Amino acid sequence: MDWTTDPTLSTTPSRQIVDKVLDALARGELGAGDSLPSVRKMAGLALVNHNTVARAYRELEVLGAVQGQNGRGVFVTDAGPAVAARERSASTLEAARQALEEALRAGHDPQSLRALLDHLAAAQGSPETPVQGPGPARKTA
Amino acid sequence: MNSSTTNPVIRLNNVHHRFGKKPVLDGVSFELPQGETLALLGSNGAGKTTLLNLLLGLFKPKSGTAEVLGLTPHKHGRKLRPQVGFVPAIPDVYDWMTPRDLYRFLAPQYRTWNAAAVDEDIERLSVPMDIRFRDLSRGQAMKAMTIAALGFEPPLLLLDEPFAGLDPTAREDLLAALLERIDTGRQSILIATHNLEMAARLADRVVILHEGRVTQAGPIDQLVPEAQPPKPLPRGLHELFVRGTQDQESVR
Repeated sequence: MDWTTDPTLSTTPSRQIVDKVLDALARGELGAGDSLPSVRKMAGLALVNHNTVARAYRELEVLGAVQGQNGRGVFVTDAGPAVAARERSASTLEAARQALEEALRAGHDPQSLRALLDHLAAAQGSPETPVQGPGPARKTA
Repeated sequence: MNSSTTNPVIRLNNVHHRFGKKPVLDGVSFELPQGETLALLGSNGAGKTTLLNLLLGLFKPKSGTAEVLGLTPHKHGRKLRPQVGFVPAIPDVYDWMTPRDLYRFLAPQYRTWNAAAVDEDIERLSVPMDIRFRDLSRGQAMKAMTIAALGFEPPLLLLDEPFAGLDPTAREDLLAALLERIDTGRQSILIATHNLEMAARLADRVVILHEGRVTQAGPIDQLVPEAQPPKPLPRGLHELFVRGTQDQESVR
């Protein structure tokens, strides 16, 4: 699992850690009851200051995805995976909406965007089958 | 985090100093709260090393006050220095020593020496233990000395350009070692550097020093507006740095 943050992104390092943990939960790489690396360990892995990590862990705790247990560490709650799925689906949907809006403003026609979406969905569904280029390939399913 | 309830580890108030006629510290004020990391940014000749020497009590400022761990450095240097892990920009150990000699020499002097952690750091940073300092590259020597400074777990660490002369991989290894070894909340760090990426990753707060004056100071996320578009360097720190170190004629 790569926890390294990127200080050149506009998202704060603390938010990047929150997102990475939520992603890991949503993908099932972390599950209920699993522990997160200690704050210091995570600071070394993410290459950010421990206060930044502590801030991220607090935010995850407020979301209900993890819970700190005195002295033992920080653990994924039973609701963690569901919280992550909810958070990630909300924030990615918003990001997709914004990207689509921007693409429409930039003059892409809805047809080709729809085609692109089909193309991406097909690629996700069967990663082994090489899909046709991003051209007017429609109706794959 | 409870920095509001404890005294700052470093408190400088309007410190002036000059070498001959040349002012090197020109009204410097800032604080380092306990448990935080402060990056002191500035180009060569900005006064960073002078400031570190002041904090170590190596001279008395012409005016203004300095307080480090509750002590006045130039008066209580002997009491202060054993509590401060200092890594100078130029290795200051006997050049016939090897890192192994250095650690063997230091271990019995500190009750707090953490031999297990030192061994771990030596391994992770691949410090050659049996090569004399005179034959080590600056980067290797800096790693060896930083491990020594971390080894006795002092409440305050002063690091002068620890990343200079390290290749990118070694830089990341040293950064990771620092981040993992710093005892959250108890240890504070002041790091003089001009590596902005390392500053952005390590620091809670930033002080930009230019020609002996503080041109920017504050918590890193307040200096750098969060909602900025991506910049080629860490979240706008580059711009702040450039602005902070540009010629100050207009301000004077």
